[in-house]
Amino acid sequence: MNTIDPKTTTTKPVLCPFCSYGCEFGVVFDDFGIKGVEYLKDGCSGGRLCPRGSAAGLYLDHPRRLCSPSRGGRAVEWTKITAELKKALASPETVAVTFDRNITLEEYQSIAGFCQGAGIKQFASSYLEPETCLSDFLRSDFSEKEMESAQTIVILGDPFNQAPVSSKSIINWRLGSRDRRLYVIDSIRTHTAAYAHEFLKVRVGTEPLLLLALAQRELSGVDIAKATGIPGARISELAESFRRAGKGLIIACLPFAHTYDPVLLTEGLRVLSDYSGKAVVPYVEFAGYKGKMSFAGILDAIKKKGIKYLINFGELFPFYYPQLLPALKNVDVFATSTLKYDGCTALPAALNIEKSGTIMTTFGPRKLTGSVKPASGAKTVSEMLSMCEAKSEKLKVAETQEPRVDIDSRIGRILDMSIKPKKDHFRLIGEKIAFYYLNLLDKEMLKMNPADGAMLTLRQGDMVAVESKRGSHGLRVTLTSDVDPGVVAVPAESPEVRGLFDYVIEEDNRAISFVPTEVKICREE
Amino acid sequence: MQRRIVLDLDLCCGCRSCEAACRAAFKGEARIRHGDISGVAYLPLACKHCKQPLCLAACPVEAITKDEVNGLVVRSAFTCIGCRSCAFACSFGVIDAPLIRHVSQKCNLCSDREQGPRCVAACSSGALQWLSDEDIGRHEIGMRLVSKDQFFRRRS
Repeated sequence: MNTIDPKTTTTKPVLCPFCSYGCEFGVVFDDFGIKGVEYLKDGCSGGRLCPRGSAAGLYLDHPRRLCSPSRGGRAVEWTKITAELKKALASPETVAVTFDRNITLEEYQSIAGFCQGAGIKQFASSYLEPETCLSDFLRSDFSEKEMESAQTIVILGDPFNQAPVSSKSIINWRLGSRDRRLYVIDSIRTHTAAYAHEFLKVRVGTEPLLLLALAQRELSGVDIAKATGIPGARISELAESFRRAGKGLIIACLPFAHTYDPVLLTEGLRVLSDYSGKAVVPYVEFAGYKGKMSFAGILDAIKKKGIKYLINFGELFPFYYPQLLPALKNVDVFATSTLKYDGCTALPAALNIEKSGTIMTTFGPRKLTGSVKPASGAKTVSEMLSMCEAKSEKLKVAETQEPRVDIDSRIGRILDMSIKPKKDHFRLIGEKIAFYYLNLLDKEMLKMNPADGAMLTLRQGDMVAVESKRGSHGLRVTLTSDVDPGVVAVPAESPEVRGLFDYVIEEDNRAISFVPTEVKICREE
Repeated sequence: MQRRIVLDLDLCCGCRSCEAACRAAFKGEARIRHGDISGVAYLPLACKHCKQPLCLAACPVEAITKDEVNGLVVRSAFTCIGCRSCAFACSFGVIDAPLIRHVSQKCNLCSDREQGPRCVAACSSGALQWLSDEDIGRHEIGMRLVSKDQFFRRRS
């Protein structure tokens, strides 16, 4: 029998960087580098890991890992990049600085201080995932004990895929006593929904309307039953029972392009929480930070031709938002990345596993150990800032703009957007499936109702071309009644798939929302 | 004492962590698979390491052998010729027909790992358990089914 020889391997415990649930695992090294992942029984999740955590070994040692600065796929010297950045910083009014995920709280503060010191006014978050709206609900004192004492739990979305490690506590709570009640709200039938006492399957994108209705909020001129697909009488009964139920929780997850209005959805959660007296617990991938302005403000400044350089710290932007690339065509983009990317000047960044600092998790702030050395050539944010010799000021938290939410106009917009798609068109929505993380383990599948499959003479596993006004991509079909007729769902993990979705810029708070999108589907030969 | 992978059917949340752990450790080989039951349930399918394995009987080159001490049914990657006889013979359908690196994908209960199979360690909901025959006797198993439909579930 082959066994790992403890003399030749070392295991370093790390905090999982792929979501904010705060699991721990061990990275195993041998003489040749990273060997894989080890499940730590004494870690905070008891060794349990989701597919993303298990694939961490593949990600850390991936052949596409970026190890030197590159432009258009060609390696560039760090000295050349530094000189260009210094030249750009000489006229700070032409520079915008953005940040997304994979940065620690300390790094965020140093970026904010760097902007203040350099006189850069265009400073915004480029983490445009809808879940950023939920970050306000994160608390430092949440523990799973709160769940044990709950009598009613309302789940919005699919935590079994957003944070699969949370499934144990949810299932054990659900099966623990017959007096407890679990309600799940979603537009797709998920495994989480299978455990619900009552699954409230709403029409695509209308979750905010249901939340507001459950909080007995007056929605003038809206036929809530027609809009959401849930009978009005049942909504009234549930609203009353939520209010009367003892202790409880509202667990919220929000995947990419799953609903029309994440801001209104957040408002709905807040209103329902106040009405029912139950706290909201968000399960998010990354607890985003706030900038001085919204990202749409940066796009406006680019349109006015005031911005010539955009520096992004993080790992997603602009790679994961291909639909925004046309708006950036006249800007010199310098973006830190962990994987190779040809679209702009990509700078190799260290992963959160590879640095020390603080990150916010569902259970409060946690310290990163930084016990894994950064990949060859990868640099941390502070290293990059010091290379630019930027003058930095100490800054605790950046000034933020409080969003104003115009509920009535947003409700009207949801109703406008949720009308039936044109003939031969489908409504494409994003969902979170942990297994398809970055396509490391498998390619995404397109979920389609069997009735639609029969209409298009498609069978399980057939390849189709999904075409939206933003682009086209080939996907393999899986036929399931989990989605309604006329709706198709896809795990929004790879840039190619994410690029299919349309986005809207809100009038009131200038937030960017990626929304369910009308697509045409045809068989790919 | 022989140990086996046991699935608590009520706890499986369908996240496929087990498959991810297997693929990540064995360079793309999915030695634990998933069965889709009429679109209402997803079940992890692991090798049962049968007492009289049909895959062993079907293998024309004796690449599959059974260890009489620990009950492990293992496939030798050096001897396997990739004929897929084992995949067709397996009555549980746990050996995948597609080959990876020209050999069949066969679970060896992570014999390279002292603490037991990785799929069990990774299981995010605790549905997969690594139990001895003695523990299995004490366990309620085989009477529950995880399902997207309430009708199929026993515990409510």
